[in-house]
Amino acid sequence: MLLAIDTSAGTTVAVFDGDMMKSFISYEDRFGHAENIGFAITRALDEAGIVASDLTMVAVGRGPAPYTGLRVGIAAGVSLATALNIPAVGVITLLAVAKKHPSGKVLIVADAKRKELFVASFSDGEVIMPPSVSTMEQISKLSDFQQVDGSCDAGLVGKYAIWAGASGMNLTDTSALYLRSPDVSPSKGKRVTG
Amino acid sequence: MEIRELTTSDLTAVMAIEPELFGDDAWTENSMTSEIAGQFTHYFGVFEDELVGYGGISSIPNSFASDIQTIGITQSRQGQGLGRMLAEALLAKAKSLGSEAVFLDVRADNSGAIALYKKLGFVQIDVRKNYYRPAGVDALVMKLEIYQPIVLGVESTCDETGIGIVKGNRLLANALHSSMDEHAKFGGVVPEVAARAHLEAMQPTIQRALQEAGLSMSQVDAIAVANGPGLAGALMVGIGAAKALAIANDKPIYAVNHLVGHVGADVLESGSVTLPTIALLVSGGHTSLLLVRDLLDDVELLGETIDDAAGEAFDKVARVLGLPYPGGPEIDKLAATGDPKAIRFPRGLSLPKDMVKHRFDFSFSGLKTAVARHVEKAEDHGLPLSKPDVAASFREAAVDVLITKAINACERYQVRRLLLGGGVVANARLRQVAKERCDAAGIELRIPRFSLCTDNGAMIASLGAQLVMAGRAPSSLGFGAESTLEVTKVQSL
Repeated sequence: MLLAIDTSAGTTVAVFDGDMMKSFISYEDRFGHAENIGFAITRALDEAGIVASDLTMVAVGRGPAPYTGLRVGIAAGVSLATALNIPAVGVITLLAVAKKHPSGKVLIVADAKRKELFVASFSDGEVIMPPSVSTMEQISKLSDFQQVDGSCDAGLVGKYAIWAGASGMNLTDTSALYLRSPDVSPSKGKRVTG
Repeated sequence: MEIRELTTSDLTAVMAIEPELFGDDAWTENSMTSEIAGQFTHYFGVFEDELVGYGGISSIPNSFASDIQTIGITQSRQGQGLGRMLAEALLAKAKSLGSEAVFLDVRADNSGAIALYKKLGFVQIDVRKNYYRPAGVDALVMKLEIYQPIVLGVESTCDETGIGIVKGNRLLANALHSSMDEHAKFGGVVPEVAARAHLEAMQPTIQRALQEAGLSMSQVDAIAVANGPGLAGALMVGIGAAKALAIANDKPIYAVNHLVGHVGADVLESGSVTLPTIALLVSGGHTSLLLVRDLLDDVELLGETIDDAAGEAFDKVARVLGLPYPGGPEIDKLAATGDPKAIRFPRGLSLPKDMVKHRFDFSFSGLKTAVARHVEKAEDHGLPLSKPDVAASFREAAVDVLITKAINACERYQVRRLLLGGGVVANARLRQVAKERCDAAGIELRIPRFSLCTDNGAMIASLGAQLVMAGRAPSSLGFGAESTLEVTKVQSL
């Protein structure tokens, strides 16, 4: 039994038995991650008819996505796995979305705020450009790629984790995928007198 | 029928029934007064219009045990279950005080009482021969074990990731990861840097705490987490983690106030928190003066900083003096060779006109600016500048205003106790001045060890444990981060 958590947009949690999705819970509020994460997990477990101790693995979405909310899901998923003494795996959300588009040239695009975009490009399912930060102007040059909305959820994260696990991929990195440095620079120290 | 804690105003009623209850063994009014008024004794009475019975326990802090001193119901009301209710009230009190065992002596010929104690779970552990004189009756010594809850606390309000574990009032683990070094180059805590560090540190810190306590997660009875006040992004990491820990083993969760947690830390130091107390909490994020009448129900904010926190002022002045972050220890070092009276820096909000609206509030922004002006003036005009004197004089001004206001609050509210908390308590001069002035004013000064003064998970676990021990309902799973959580809200439901 795998529990998948993704807080890259709203708060979504899904439970998988093998590759069957048994439950999917979604809270759309993009600012309510801390409030909703507990309800989302317990409801997903309830709807799947299991208790937390039935879980054998936890998968979390690593983004890239707005980090404040993203971290809530990762912190919850990793802590859940720690408490249950089961493995946690991390899924890069743009890669999870790309699984829906196994053929052709696609550009997965997600909002990165501040007039920037998180993007990754794929050709027949193979990564061409790994997740990075871009602008509208930059991606307009990639006209031969079909643009695809990069919104992710726990269903996609769970499916990717199950596929990757079956393919023998290593997903042990559960850290948030930070593509930008913290927006801060050392203060120079101002004079108080003229 | 009402059972409530007795005060010395109930003394006459108690003495009126004492001879009937205890005959030869009756206490004098003097010893009864000291029992009821005692700092470590707790007496409860059963009232049916008038007092019909009473009992009391003694519980010395840090002994983690209580003794039932006495318990009695008047002849005419016996056999109605009042003795049992009274005993249960005493045991509930013992539990809330953190006792892990309750002891009592009972006359070997008092079969009714012995039967009651056995029903409550007491077992005989010893006999004292000829204990009750002059009759020469044996005393049975009985013991009841009380299970105290194991609580894991999560702290992530600022730059420290703290996981603490307590059992009742006992400290089992206090694991900490600080991101302070990562903030050093910015001269202060950067919220995004702090939040990133919390996420990275959370799992290893949880594991370190469990290892330190020698426990597995399934042995933890409840989770507590600080949900404010603090940095929103940082708080949210702790809340996400804490909720998952609670769900994993289907345990209750308690969302608690970080600032009240600082007061709760003293429970771990001394086995109980003696109330009422004035609490002065000084850190890089807070400068608050509290009146705590009851840790769970009655915390009043007397005043707080209206601009910079005290720790922030130390950091800013350190920067003016070319010292690295965090500024507190650096200024302490430099000030050691300086003259604290060399420069008279302003004491914020200390003028007579400030006493109306801001008697217990603080302001450190003006002090910081005054130091900067002093340094800039000297540098601009090529005047000699003694940095040790500046550091010592600044520190003196900051400490003076902090302790003056704290002592004034003790006087104003007639509270003879002052508790210090927060990272700035590391400042040697602050502790020294607090000690001198409290001694002079006859105020008991309490300073928990430094690892319990700075932000830590153990204090959050401790406050959570107090809520569990008092039988409070847990929080719902729906609480969020509250950056500006007011100090009167001890638990968010």
